[in-house]
Amino acid sequence: MTPALAILMVVGLPLLGALPLAMVGRRLGARTAWLALVFPVVGFLALGWLYGTHEGPTRLVSWPWVPSIGLNLTFGIDGLALFFALIVSGMGVLVVFYAGFYLDGHAAHHGRFYAYLMLFMAAMLGTVLSDNLLLLFAFWELTGIASFLLIGFLHEQEGSRRGARMALLITGATGLAGLVGIVLVRQISGTYSLRELMAAGGLDEAPLAGAAMTLLLLAAFGKSAQFPLQFWLPNAMAAPTPVSAYLHSATMVKLGVFLTARLFPLFHEHPYWAPIVSSVAFVTLVLGGVLALLSTQLKAILAYSTVSQLGFLIGYYGLGPSEGLESDFLHILNHVFYKGCLFMVVGIVYVATHAKDIREVGGLWKRMPLLGVIAGIACAAMLGLPGTTGFLSKELMFKEIFVSPRAHGPLGVLAVVAVVLTSLLKVAFSVRLFQGMFLGKEPASVAKHFQAPPSWMLMPPAVLAACALVLGVAPELLSGPIHHLHVPGLHTPTPPELHLWHGVTRELLASMAVVAAGFGVVAWGNRTAWRWAVVPRWLQFDLLYDRGLDFLGRFAKKVTRVSGADWPGAWPRVPVATLVVLVGGFLWVRFPPGEVLDLLGDGLSEHRWDGLRVLVAALIALGALGVVILRSWPAQVVALSVSGFMTTVYFVLYRAPDLALTQILVETVSLVLIVTLLARFPRSAQEGEDVDRRWRFRQVVSLVVAIGFGIMMTAMGLLVTTRPHPNRIGGWFLDNTQPLAKGANAVNTLLVDFRGFDTFGEITVLVVAMLGCLGLLFRHRRTTGEHRAGAKGAPGLGINTAHDAGEGRS
Amino acid sequence: MNATRSVLFEPVARGLFFVLHVFAVYLLLRGHDLPGGGFIGGLVSAISWVMLGLALGWSEVGRVLRVDPARLAAMGLTVAGVTGAAPMLWGRAFFEQFFWHGTVPFLGEIHLGTPLAFDAGVFLVVVGITVKMIVVLGRSTSGMRAFPRVEADRYFSILEEPIEGPASTPKEKGGTDAG
Repeated sequence: MTPALAILMVVGLPLLGALPLAMVGRRLGARTAWLALVFPVVGFLALGWLYGTHEGPTRLVSWPWVPSIGLNLTFGIDGLALFFALIVSGMGVLVVFYAGFYLDGHAAHHGRFYAYLMLFMAAMLGTVLSDNLLLLFAFWELTGIASFLLIGFLHEQEGSRRGARMALLITGATGLAGLVGIVLVRQISGTYSLRELMAAGGLDEAPLAGAAMTLLLLAAFGKSAQFPLQFWLPNAMAAPTPVSAYLHSATMVKLGVFLTARLFPLFHEHPYWAPIVSSVAFVTLVLGGVLALLSTQLKAILAYSTVSQLGFLIGYYGLGPSEGLESDFLHILNHVFYKGCLFMVVGIVYVATHAKDIREVGGLWKRMPLLGVIAGIACAAMLGLPGTTGFLSKELMFKEIFVSPRAHGPLGVLAVVAVVLTSLLKVAFSVRLFQGMFLGKEPASVAKHFQAPPSWMLMPPAVLAACALVLGVAPELLSGPIHHLHVPGLHTPTPPELHLWHGVTRELLASMAVVAAGFGVVAWGNRTAWRWAVVPRWLQFDLLYDRGLDFLGRFAKKVTRVSGADWPGAWPRVPVATLVVLVGGFLWVRFPPGEVLDLLGDGLSEHRWDGLRVLVAALIALGALGVVILRSWPAQVVALSVSGFMTTVYFVLYRAPDLALTQILVETVSLVLIVTLLARFPRSAQEGEDVDRRWRFRQVVSLVVAIGFGIMMTAMGLLVTTRPHPNRIGGWFLDNTQPLAKGANAVNTLLVDFRGFDTFGEITVLVVAMLGCLGLLFRHRRTTGEHRAGAKGAPGLGINTAHDAGEGRS
Repeated sequence: MNATRSVLFEPVARGLFFVLHVFAVYLLLRGHDLPGGGFIGGLVSAISWVMLGLALGWSEVGRVLRVDPARLAAMGLTVAGVTGAAPMLWGRAFFEQFFWHGTVPFLGEIHLGTPLAFDAGVFLVVVGITVKMIVVLGRSTSGMRAFPRVEADRYFSILEEPIEGPASTPKEKGGTDAG
């Protein structure tokens, strides 16, 4: 096995395999899962091999993609990349296995689902393994697109579409900020290669470092749903539960953490690094905890607790000591164990009871004791009871945070307050989640609808819970692998000391106090029946998002209306007048009007007064005049095409048979097209009744603009024919059409050979325009009710401009 | 529009249909060296279809053509794109041309090149979109559904329910369609 083969197996295989999966999905149905399972398993094994041979940051392969802009398929590994890649593919195995049972029966389109999932996995692995920053960005955005498709998988539901749009807009927009940051990094350092950047060391001194850092952090904050963008993650919970477990707890949202870790060695000595990272992250930490306690939807509780935990993971890098971090991998791993597990548990509860709200379930312990044990372990890890990885994570968290006031002053104090407060909240909502699902009285609806889930479905969460338990009891097992994956510049060079029992320390005492206080909150909540647990409106940031989008729609409508762009008659004047002013003005300044008049006089006197030409010119002018004078539409169209057909004669006279042929055919087709289109209008409009004759002023403006345009074109024609361009390109094509393009017709070789790419672009535009026309011509007639509700905009865009309802159309 | 059929127009259109098509293909083939080419040939072919539709009714076009013209256009775009991109598989430049020149019994000297395939793609795109647009407009103004029932699903979103029926009478149309 070679590194190149390993990369192909890890990233290339699922990327290429997505399409065939989608195609066989229709035939295989629910069994597609077992086929899809091959990809993460193969990836995991290949990564295992890479882990075994890993000795330090190395570049594995580099295939050229677009070398001219420095974009190459360069993949490399270091401890961080391997750690994340192992999590992604390991979780991939569990999630695909789990999804096989979850989707069974209650969803169609299995092929599409697994295709999206594999696309996501490939993108995710590509992001963490790429060594080239531009490549990283490409994969980064691909994860966003895959997440959009997966959140919107149940696209018949409005909630899914809204959540998908929200996630795409926010992660996409912040991702673009990240792209600017990447380009700035290249400007500063001269390279896109992560490995070279790491080797060169920090960028803190460079003049644009602050801007690059802020933009890249924005990308990380968007992806990891940090304050004030945290609202997209709970809305992304409209996705099927396996997706929530995979993308929105274990992997994709951790990309922000990953990017912050990547940036740490580059920027952590910048004076703004700690303030920006930790203030945003610790606000998110507390806010997420509060919202998790106030929410009642099972998945929303988990989503907000994820937001909160991501805040801690990112903030951890903000306050990191410059000699390196120690236990970030442990924190991440712990979160993957318990949060992935809890999402799967909630999914199983949903499959069994169809309940999504904590108030609709209860007393499931009697029905599913094994699930209760699994959920109990996961909740214990979440709140940090001894014997789980959560306990270790919390001990180390306290230990590191308690020293931060010494290093960071007020920022450190904020961190201590935030962490202690959130730990308390975490205890409260973990206990509430567990008791809400498994203890208490069983609601009647559960008793009626209960359906035992397949027992194999419990396997993936059981594996995660077992990991949390085993590694929590015997943490020494972890310190070897964590040290094996340590990254120079990011982590401390000595292996971490992980033990279950650290003695009676102030961390342990703080931890005990927090747990006790958390149980106190739960007791109080139970006494008040959690009546106060409602998310207040001012904390629902997604309402602001909706209002912003709504405003955008209304603003666009207003601009359209004010500029008169919805009345087609109004706008041709604007570009034509602009042309007259710009080009005409230029001609006026460059060539004195007297010169042009002389040219006109010369032309009129010297030119042979050829009868045919005069006749044709007169007919063209007559046709144009007819368009102005005639009032009925069909008559105008016919007059216009008289002008068009007569132009053909000129092409013949100037020996341009291709142009003549094209002109006559285009004229014919467009005449038929316009006439059939006009037939759709009411007869009164066709007779010219709708022409608004009241606006004399507008007509005068049109007249002035038209005359100006005519004069400008005449002047240009005269000038161009008397002063040919010194370097005419036409001759080159005439000379080279035979030797280079092997064709005698220069017009055709130009179209299909020399400028073939242009032609390809044009026919693409034609096809797109046709699809657009069909959509516009045959949009849906709205029902009376819809009319009353107002214009809705394009389907799926969600622009609802209710105030238009009464105005009707002009 | 097709309520009355013309005794004269109908047989002329039928006869010209084939003649024009032969001419269209001829224009396509000779385009590399003499006036003609995919765009012009495509327009000639489109005109013959339109003439058929005007003479015999728009549903007749669908019956004779059998494929959705929009698919023809898509096919043309694919052919053109593949012709352009194929050389890259062998490490050559995008849109590099290749040709074969030789003599064939009975046909004489023959020159075949990839530009011809590209031009054929252009031909299909032009025929497809022209015929599609005119047939759709023509159908809707002559009392038929704008799209045959099989095609409707491809153009309408499932998110909005009511689908425009056949073009309505002029009286009620003014308000909704002209805007």
